[in-house]
Amino acid sequence: MNKFAIGCGGVFVILLFIVIVLALALMGRYNSLVKSQQAVDSQWAQVQNVYQRRSDLIPNLVNTVQGAANFEKSTLTDITNARASVGRVQLDPNKAPTDAAQLEQFQAAQGQLSNALSRLLVVVERYPELKANQNFLTLQAQLEGTENRIAVERNKFNEVVQSYNTQVRSFPTNLIAGMFGFAPRPYFTAQPGAERAPTVNFNFGSPAPVASPAASAAATP
Amino acid sequence: MKQFALWAAILVAVHSYAAEVIPPKPAGYFNDYAGVVSKSAALRFNEELAQFERETSNQVVVAVFPKMQSDDDVAAYTQRVAQAWGVGQKDKRNGAVLFVFIQDRKMFIQVGYGLEGALPDATCFDITERRIKPHFRSGDYEGGLAEGIDSILKAARGEYKGTGQTVRDRQRDNGRMFAPNLLLFFFFFMLLFFLSRLKPRRGYHYSSGGGGWSWYLGGGGNSGSSGGGGFSGFSGGGGSFGGGGAGSSW
Repeated sequence: MNKFAIGCGGVFVILLFIVIVLALALMGRYNSLVKSQQAVDSQWAQVQNVYQRRSDLIPNLVNTVQGAANFEKSTLTDITNARASVGRVQLDPNKAPTDAAQLEQFQAAQGQLSNALSRLLVVVERYPELKANQNFLTLQAQLEGTENRIAVERNKFNEVVQSYNTQVRSFPTNLIAGMFGFAPRPYFTAQPGAERAPTVNFNFGSPAPVASPAASAAATP
Repeated sequence: MKQFALWAAILVAVHSYAAEVIPPKPAGYFNDYAGVVSKSAALRFNEELAQFERETSNQVVVAVFPKMQSDDDVAAYTQRVAQAWGVGQKDKRNGAVLFVFIQDRKMFIQVGYGLEGALPDATCFDITERRIKPHFRSGDYEGGLAEGIDSILKAARGEYKGTGQTVRDRQRDNGRMFAPNLLLFFFFFMLLFFLSRLKPRRGYHYSSGGGGWSWYLGGGGNSGSSGGGGFSGFSGGGGSFGGGGAGSSW
């Protein structure tokens, strides 16, 4: 009887020990999941931040360019429209998108704006008056800096998402992730068409051609 | 299929990075790997920049290379280099690096997150385009760099307060931490040396014959020497860069 009680107690202590060790391990995994999810979300905020910075630059840019004598209207309308459509894709700035389609939509809208802006910078080459305008040169430097920042922050976003997704998918953390609803997050992907260099048409003979329809057709998927 | 496309994209990205070389951490604040500035001027610039860190805690580094060792855009490449060097204090992220690539005729000022307010892109552009470029155009590298350094320091001053010490000064005081660091650095440099020997990159690479290796000797020989007229060594504080800044080509 006495021996049996001691045996029971021993088993109980061992079980308790195992439960405590398991609980601690689980807690550690859970906490590190939370931590990397936070990293993803804060990096997303940073991504939104730099895109917002670009959006804020545009009215100033459009105003400056408009001042140039008979500047092509179509380029400017493209930019204004693209900026408006970017504004319509509203994503939570504090939480990285969980749905790949959502991120794709955001990326498509921003990509359209990128295209419109790079077309503007090509068209500007035909206006020496603008190329000499200090205000415009300053804006151009700011715009380039913003594009660099976007590239950097997108890269960093993909890095933190990669480490989070690796955690979510690898055993045994994937069990905990499944239990508490940690889903893998989508990445930024290369822009469709980004691998093709933009086509530039040199028309030396004819006077200022209208924004080449081939280029705008290629830009819209 | 989507998965496959993603992995392919990552592989391509990794592959394109493989074609570039991130130079090892610089030994000093002013690093002329291309040999375009006189010894005395280089020493003067170096001390000026070291003193600036003591006064303001901002780390400003100048690196003049003969050629860019990447096929990527100068802005993207220099961001990765500046980030790898960890210029700036870790908490303030207040670093800035002026990169010059002589043969490419390109320069770029990379600005750490903490100095983006004091050195906005427009200011950097103004410095490279209107202060440095005219000198470089006429082949006066020393004058251009002097004016560039001067303008950067002027703009960045007043943003943060210094402690009177550089990161390297603090490490030296903290001898216990410094000895293993030195060893680590030594092994790191040895490793890089052998790696670069094993796989010569296309185009130019640092050869032991020219002035290219001087920073290895400088790094080992001078790091132990105490101040007082000597060369002030540089140690990055772990700052980070978000792609701010601007550049020009001449």
